[in-house]
Amino acid sequence: MKKILRDTCLLASLMILAVFAFSIIWSGITEEIKLVFELFGLALIISTVNYFFDEFINLSIIMSYIIKYFAICAIVMLFGFIVGWFFPSNFWMVFIYVGVVLLLGYLLDSFKIKKDIEFINKRISQKNKEASNEQ
Amino acid sequence: MRIITRQVEDQPLTVIIEYPELNKSASDLIQKVNNLNIRFSAFDEDKQIRIDLSDVYYIENVERKMFIYTERDVYRFNSTMSEVEGMIADTNMVRISRTCIMNTDHLKEIRQVKNSHLEAVMDNDEMLIVSRKYLKDIKRVFKGE
Repeated sequence: MKKILRDTCLLASLMILAVFAFSIIWSGITEEIKLVFELFGLALIISTVNYFFDEFINLSIIMSYIIKYFAICAIVMLFGFIVGWFFPSNFWMVFIYVGVVLLLGYLLDSFKIKKDIEFINKRISQKNKEASNEQ
Repeated sequence: MRIITRQVEDQPLTVIIEYPELNKSASDLIQKVNNLNIRFSAFDEDKQIRIDLSDVYYIENVERKMFIYTERDVYRFNSTMSEVEGMIADTNMVRISRTCIMNTDHLKEIRQVKNSHLEAVMDNDEMLIVSRKYLKDIKRVFKGE
C-alpha cells in the first residue's frame, strides 16, 4: 500500500511537470504554471535541508521536529515573500500550514519507528530462540 | 537444495558447496558465503592482525580515524566509511549513524529512550546511538532483503 501511494505521488508529480512544461510552449508561463514550479522549487529546498539535518544532527524525535518546524517556517516565509505568496498581514498562515504538515509527519514517523523497533526486536528473539534450539 | 550440517572437532569452520552446474543460484550462494568470510586488516598498536567479520561488533569513525570494536578490544583500522560500506554489502553489517557501522549478528535489542534517541544494545551490553534515518536499513537486514 505504501509503495502504491508513493508511486502515485511520484507519477502525479511527473505528470504535472510534463503537462505544465508542454503548456509553457503553447501559452507561456501563466500564474498557475508559475505557482506549480515555485512549489516544486520550495519542495526541493525543504527536502535538501531535511536531508542534511537528518544526516548531521542527531536529536530526540521531538526536538528534531521542533527545530525542523522553525527552520521550515523560516524557509517558507522567506521563499513566500520572495515569490510574492505572503504579505505582512497574512504571513502567520505559514505557522499553521507548516505546523499541520509537520504534526502529521511526526505522528506517522513515531508510529513507523515504533513498528520498526518491534519488528527488529521480534526477529532478534526468533533468531535467538532458533539458535538455542539448535544447541 | 539439501542442507547438511555436522560438527567436526578441531577443524576450522568449513563450508562445502556442491552443485550439479554453476548456475546463478549457485554463484549467488558462493558469493554470500564469500561475503561472510571477510577479514579486516587492523592494528593493535603497531602489530597488524586480521579480524573476522563475525568477531566485529561495530566499526566507528572517530575524528576521521577508523576503529574496529570486538567484544572486548578496539583496533585501529586504516580505511574510510565508504570503503567499509563497499566491503560489507550483502553482509549483516549495517550503517546505523553517520559515523558507525554495526554488526547485527551481535545486536541484542533496539530501544527508544522515551521520546528521545534510539539505542542499539549489543550482546556485550554496549550501547550505540542509532540515527532514525538508518533504522529502515537495520530492518532491511532482518527482513533479508
